[in-house]
Amino acid sequence: MKLFPLIGALALVARTAPAQGPATLTPRDSALHALNRLAYGPRPGEVERVAGMGVLNWIDAQLQPDRIPDPVLAAKERAFPLLRMSRQDLADAYTAAQRARRARLADSMSRTAASPADPDPAAMTPEVRQARRLAGELQEVAVVRAALSERQLEEVMVDFWTNHFNVSLTKGADRFLLPDYVEHVIRPHALGKFRDLLIATARSPAMMFYLDNWESVAPGSEPPRGGGRRGAGGKARPQGINENYARELLELHTLGVDGGYTQDDVINVARVLTGWGITPPRQGADFAYRDWAHDRGAKVVMGVPYPAGGGEDEGRSLLSWLASQHATMHHVSRQLCARFVADDPPDGCVDDAVAAWERSDGDIREILRAIFHGPDFWAPANLNNKVKTPLEFLVSAVRAVSADPDSTPRLAQVVARLGEPLYQHVAPDGYPERQDDWVTSGALLARMNAAVAIAAGRLPGVTVDLDSVVPPAPDPDTLLDRINARVLGGAMSAHTRSVIRDELADLRDPAARRSFAVGLALGGPDFQKQ
Amino acid sequence: MVSRRVFVKSGGLALVSFGLDPLFLARAAFASPAPGHAPSGPILVCLFQRGAVDGLNMIVPHGDRIYYEERPRIAVPATDVIDLDGYFGLHPSLAPLKPLWDDKTLAVIHAAGSPDSSRSHFDAQDYMETGTPGSKTTPDGWLNRYCQHDREHADTPFHAVAFGPELPRILAGSAPALAIDDLQAFGLRAAGAGARDKVTRAFEALYQGGSTGLVASSSQEGFEAVRMLSGIDPASYTPANGASYPAGKLGRSLKEIAQLIKADLGLRVAFADVTGWDTHVNQGASEGQLAARLTDFAGSLAAFMRDLGDRRGDVVLLTMSEFGRTIRENGSSGTDHGHATAMLVLGGAVNGGKVLGRWPGLDPAQRFEGRDVAVTTDFRDLFGEVLARHLGAANLPAVFPGFAPDQARFPGAIRA
Repeated sequence: MKLFPLIGALALVARTAPAQGPATLTPRDSALHALNRLAYGPRPGEVERVAGMGVLNWIDAQLQPDRIPDPVLAAKERAFPLLRMSRQDLADAYTAAQRARRARLADSMSRTAASPADPDPAAMTPEVRQARRLAGELQEVAVVRAALSERQLEEVMVDFWTNHFNVSLTKGADRFLLPDYVEHVIRPHALGKFRDLLIATARSPAMMFYLDNWESVAPGSEPPRGGGRRGAGGKARPQGINENYARELLELHTLGVDGGYTQDDVINVARVLTGWGITPPRQGADFAYRDWAHDRGAKVVMGVPYPAGGGEDEGRSLLSWLASQHATMHHVSRQLCARFVADDPPDGCVDDAVAAWERSDGDIREILRAIFHGPDFWAPANLNNKVKTPLEFLVSAVRAVSADPDSTPRLAQVVARLGEPLYQHVAPDGYPERQDDWVTSGALLARMNAAVAIAAGRLPGVTVDLDSVVPPAPDPDTLLDRINARVLGGAMSAHTRSVIRDELADLRDPAARRSFAVGLALGGPDFQKQ
Repeated sequence: MVSRRVFVKSGGLALVSFGLDPLFLARAAFASPAPGHAPSGPILVCLFQRGAVDGLNMIVPHGDRIYYEERPRIAVPATDVIDLDGYFGLHPSLAPLKPLWDDKTLAVIHAAGSPDSSRSHFDAQDYMETGTPGSKTTPDGWLNRYCQHDREHADTPFHAVAFGPELPRILAGSAPALAIDDLQAFGLRAAGAGARDKVTRAFEALYQGGSTGLVASSSQEGFEAVRMLSGIDPASYTPANGASYPAGKLGRSLKEIAQLIKADLGLRVAFADVTGWDTHVNQGASEGQLAARLTDFAGSLAAFMRDLGDRRGDVVLLTMSEFGRTIRENGSSGTDHGHATAMLVLGGAVNGGKVLGRWPGLDPAQRFEGRDVAVTTDFRDLFGEVLARHLGAANLPAVFPGFAPDQARFPGAIRA
């Protein structure tokens, strides 16, 4: 059994990628490219290791993360209590924080001269502090996993899907729903079937709350007696449908904005999904189908009839149908290619991905395999043509010097200062993939500062041992050789080399010289690209 | 004039590959942007009161008995209100703004807001920043779109600046904009001026010959900004005319904006925000929670205008908030999410000393959904007027897509 995927992969390589595959690149270059795209950059020595085992073998291994042992990360994860909290634990923390906030606000009358520097009187209750701590842990654990996991592609895909199916920490109860969402909705399906992932997100309390589907009820519907007059947010009972989720489902999650649907389709999708809701946070914020809220009338979505009298299952069949539409395959495949190949991906790799989607019934692993084995992935024009996002930049820098992150939220705060506060993108489209959205003058200066700090061992949240990465060198040329090979994976340009060499001339202290050079290398233009 | 936003918008990658640096061209196209030499001109400062400020307790309809009937515990007593026009008056904490009203550099637009009925902070802030109420997928903010289409003003790294750790939605988009959390810390950090100069010089050399396209132009803008700032020494700034900024974040942001304005670095649009307005519980009346926030707010605005001195003639400050609050107080002596609120415009170009916009009244028949102050001024008409009449924006439909700004609906915030 275990041999089948490998054999299948080799057959696929033979069919789609032989002539223009990695064969045109040196083994080192192709290893570096794969590590830049399927992983958060190489750690010292990793380019050689991947080149040695064969880059396609490494890619196939990354596509089977369950078979990759990851003891270092497993040990690190024990420092994050969040990962041991159930959804009920999180819901309890949420209700406690809400109660504390209200009590504190009520108490604030007596403290009218609140210092303007601390404008939020609810800021400092223990419950609110705990809520902040949990949000910080959630962000930090994402950065730590990206930095340390051996299952790099899985982490990249969790980040990709978390953005594709974006839910924002900034929206009320989602602060408490997100850990479960990332852990139990996104992660298990990150390399699974797209259909399963789509349905899991649709039914997740986090998405249900974020895009308001829990508030969408058939017009005129009434909860049964004793069903309560107030909804999960403590607000007045909702009236009528809410199109928010339906629209984003079509526009962002599946078909794409040009996917051929009309406003009537949006309304009918919303009607199909009426009744899909959540229990209040104090009862665990679980998925709940409320039959009384479901619109039992007949509907048509893009020509597909949903006869009168249907119930909860209408939503499932709608989502399955959406997952198999050509527009969906094309829209999502294009986004995958934008992530892995180029901001504006060539049509060829998108077509390969769509073909794999059709062959495999939307198996994400097979779609990715087709992209990684296609000629566009390895085309010289697509090497180092993408600017790293702030997360990719910081994590790749951490990996480049084998820095060891701690369990405080400080590293995630650096990512936030670089412009990408994790899980806090407000709009449902998620963080962008294009360089235009990340490259600004202030952002580049911030990256330079972070690079200098990490090389000097001053970046908060990590410890760095440069001796183990770049051993002391007797002269600048040897030092630069070592930095190029060990830190930049061999990607240092001649220009970078000559500028750093000039700058080292007036530095005498070997340690200062080394950290200055590493800081310039990580903060310089070569390292902004992947 | 060729600038990066032309470059970004019209496929200028070709430009770069011909070896023409758009920033260089921009620099060559007008006076040197060295401190004190960038051309001055109209400036817009936007201030977002996040959390939905209670417009009715900020600009109080003290001449209306319904206001007092609906708010038995939190209405500001008429004896405390600073009267403006016999019907409206300032909350007593806004006393520092009264001189601006008197010299006609402060106007109020009441019953302003969004045509969208959302009472979600999250959605409504998003709509007000993208300028597209009801549409959640607009990729950029209206202030950025203004910059994308601004052909009237010189381009410098300080053209658009947001004060905060990251760019807010309102300035997100393809036009370059700076996010500055702390003016004094902007640039490369190192122990001592010598070390800072060395690391700055080294990075500039690395990027100058080692990068192309957007990375090259943006990094050069960054180094240019650092150079321009080093000439003005933000650390030693003293506000003019005895202005004294409150100690909070808002005061600091406005002080730094005033510094940038006076340094003539080419600032055209600036943005700052201030939180703490979501007063569901015990919001207070003449004193209390909201009063404390308004004290900080008014003190910061008044210090800013005083500090600007003569430059007030160039500057318009516009306040906004995602929606207002319920007319009737709730069971916790607070107010819940409502609809219209009051927005302020301050500055030399302002048609001041007036409460503008059509006041719908508090009568239940006039209310939005039977409970809230109705919106009679679409926020886009107000923002559009300020852009057109103060900044000279020529292409409002591009700034507010799907909306046809009509001069006849402008509230009249800017002097003709």
